[in-house]
Amino acid sequence: MKPLDRTEARSQLSTFAAPPNQGGREPRNVSGSSSPRNPVRTAGVVRLAYESVASTLLRLPPTVRGYGLPIGTSLLVAAVVAVVEPGFYRPANLHVVMQQYAVLGLVTLGQVLVLLVSGIDLSVGAVMNAALITIALMNHYNENLLLVSLVLCILIGAGVGVTNGLLVSLRDVPPFAATLGMTACVQGAILVYTKGIPAGNIPTALRPIALDGIGIVPYSLLICLAIGLVVIVFLSRGSYGRTIYAVGRSAEVARRVGISTTAVRVSAYTLCGVFAALAGIILSAYVGYVDPAIGGTYNLQSIAAAVVGGVSFIGGEGKPAGALIGALFLLTVLNVTTLSSLNPFTQLIVQGVVMLVAVSLFHLIKRGSFA
Amino acid sequence: MSRQSVRRGSWETGFAAVAAALLALTACGGSSGTPGGTKTYTIAFISQGTSNSWAAQLDAVASKAAKADGVKLVYFNGQGDATKQLPEIDTAIAQKPDAIVLVPLGGAADTGPVERAMSQGIKVVLCDSTITSQNYTSLVTPHAETAAVPLAQWLADKMNHQGNLLYIGGLPGNTTTITYDQGFNSVMQKYPSIHIINAGNANYSISTAKQLAATAIASGKTFTGAWGVGGEAVTGLMQALIDAKVNPAPPIGGAAATNGILRLAIQNKMEVASLQFPPTSSQVCIDTAYKAAKGETVPKSINISDLPQYGPILPPLDKYYKPQFSDDMYVGTDSVLTVDELKALNLVK
Repeated sequence: MKPLDRTEARSQLSTFAAPPNQGGREPRNVSGSSSPRNPVRTAGVVRLAYESVASTLLRLPPTVRGYGLPIGTSLLVAAVVAVVEPGFYRPANLHVVMQQYAVLGLVTLGQVLVLLVSGIDLSVGAVMNAALITIALMNHYNENLLLVSLVLCILIGAGVGVTNGLLVSLRDVPPFAATLGMTACVQGAILVYTKGIPAGNIPTALRPIALDGIGIVPYSLLICLAIGLVVIVFLSRGSYGRTIYAVGRSAEVARRVGISTTAVRVSAYTLCGVFAALAGIILSAYVGYVDPAIGGTYNLQSIAAAVVGGVSFIGGEGKPAGALIGALFLLTVLNVTTLSSLNPFTQLIVQGVVMLVAVSLFHLIKRGSFA
Repeated sequence: MSRQSVRRGSWETGFAAVAAALLALTACGGSSGTPGGTKTYTIAFISQGTSNSWAAQLDAVASKAAKADGVKLVYFNGQGDATKQLPEIDTAIAQKPDAIVLVPLGGAADTGPVERAMSQGIKVVLCDSTITSQNYTSLVTPHAETAAVPLAQWLADKMNHQGNLLYIGGLPGNTTTITYDQGFNSVMQKYPSIHIINAGNANYSISTAKQLAATAIASGKTFTGAWGVGGEAVTGLMQALIDAKVNPAPPIGGAAATNGILRLAIQNKMEVASLQFPPTSSQVCIDTAYKAAKGETVPKSINISDLPQYGPILPPLDKYYKPQFSDDMYVGTDSVLTVDELKALNLVK
């Protein structure tokens, strides 16, 4: 849907406010209130409300749309959460949210880099699983090899990323297929090596990364935010950022102006793999138990967080800061629905509805701020 | 015709030849005779698949049972996912085995393929979970009354029949989850002063269970008891209580005891009631399928909770814990597999 200008918005508003009389049985109510027996009118009212919000947002100055709206929306969400589930703001709960955010934030940062170059990475969960298995197995054989195992995790993440990048860039394998295939390879390798039953435990020396911190702020969050800051700076100020966006917007044009699209894509996938490995290390420290399917939900969660945060599927559009806000939003919704003690099935519906509303709203904001 | 298409054509010809050879081999599949004249029965084992240590132990026991019975076991990998398991069932049916042992991952989804197999005269033994139809040969599963009820009753008594109970669910739609929920609910509905705080479904994932439980604990509510569906949920619950330094931890009830659950409970002085429910049911499933394939009459329903290796594990837990085995070993698996077999599965430290 292309952005509406003020005239178009007004025109559409007037169309919905005064629908034509098509059958001589015009409903009495023309003020916008809906009748539950008339789904067409209900849909019209919803559309009217949507377009009203759109036209109001588009009247705002670009600066306000660019920075004020994400902050304003975040404050609005914070206020709604305070009313719906005040327990969210308990220090103990905020500590838990921060612990979990550190993991999702890191994976999302990597996913953003890949999405920006028109890719997608469905192997982040497998890399996280591989990280946990590596740590547990090395600890099983020698408890003094923690540092070596962490370096190995990062190398595995980088290796998977480089392979993904090369498959996509040099062999023209669609990113979806390349990374899904890589997931099967990594999971298969884990199963072959462990026979489905991983040995070992998570070393206790690793656990403070996720469990301890400064006040209620865990070290893992500090690591995530530090990396996030570096990514934000590099993408917004450095030449690397410009090449990432250029390749995502049009690889052909980028190639013509002398950018090595292969190097850019491979670097994005490699960083994504490294961030996934780091997230796997932190999640292993947080969970504290060998769970070979530890990265299970992070493929889709990281993509959802990035999309909610305004990152485009088609590449070259979106910002890491937006994605980090998206990750926070996603985690807040998950946390609040868990705190609400709703039936799990109802929780899923609430999460789905809130996500859809959020994506729609962020799409409106994006028209002004991320375009 | 270009060179590329010629090359592709030769590939296609080669592929067709290989496929024809495989089909010919398949046609010779199913039951086969041996030189001595004794018939070797073929059983298709459609497992939960390579998804967790439970499934790996279940598969190892099935393999051992098939060897003991002298049947040919053809393995189909469900990959821990109902949608991935469905085509595996159809592939298994196409092989026309004498019997199928299915570990259903989707009660409703698996009903159609099972009925198709039955209509083709293939005996189907359901292992651990059921489907939404009665059209199968035999069902080998625990019963809610004998599995979850004693644990839930122990938990309710420990809670003095009042207070908040933290609940972590299993996998929605999975019949094992439904069975355990039925047993749990049948006890808890007798005690209206017990308030069940449902933190969500962990989908048999330790990581998810830990995150859900950590969130619920951080809400500030006081829990006088906790319940997890499946060993993974109980493990995640325990880890969350330990990390949140909840002391004393509330009593915990749940299914399927692992050596790891016992270790955590003993090390952290936690009161845990669990079920000795090793993944050894596949032995009974294979034996039943073998009998059915031979034409013997088999019971429509076999309650494995009645077997000696199953039953509630209540504190004190020291007598059940075996430090020589890894955390992943389900308590009681060593009653069926030897130490060498357990070692081959990475279950010996």
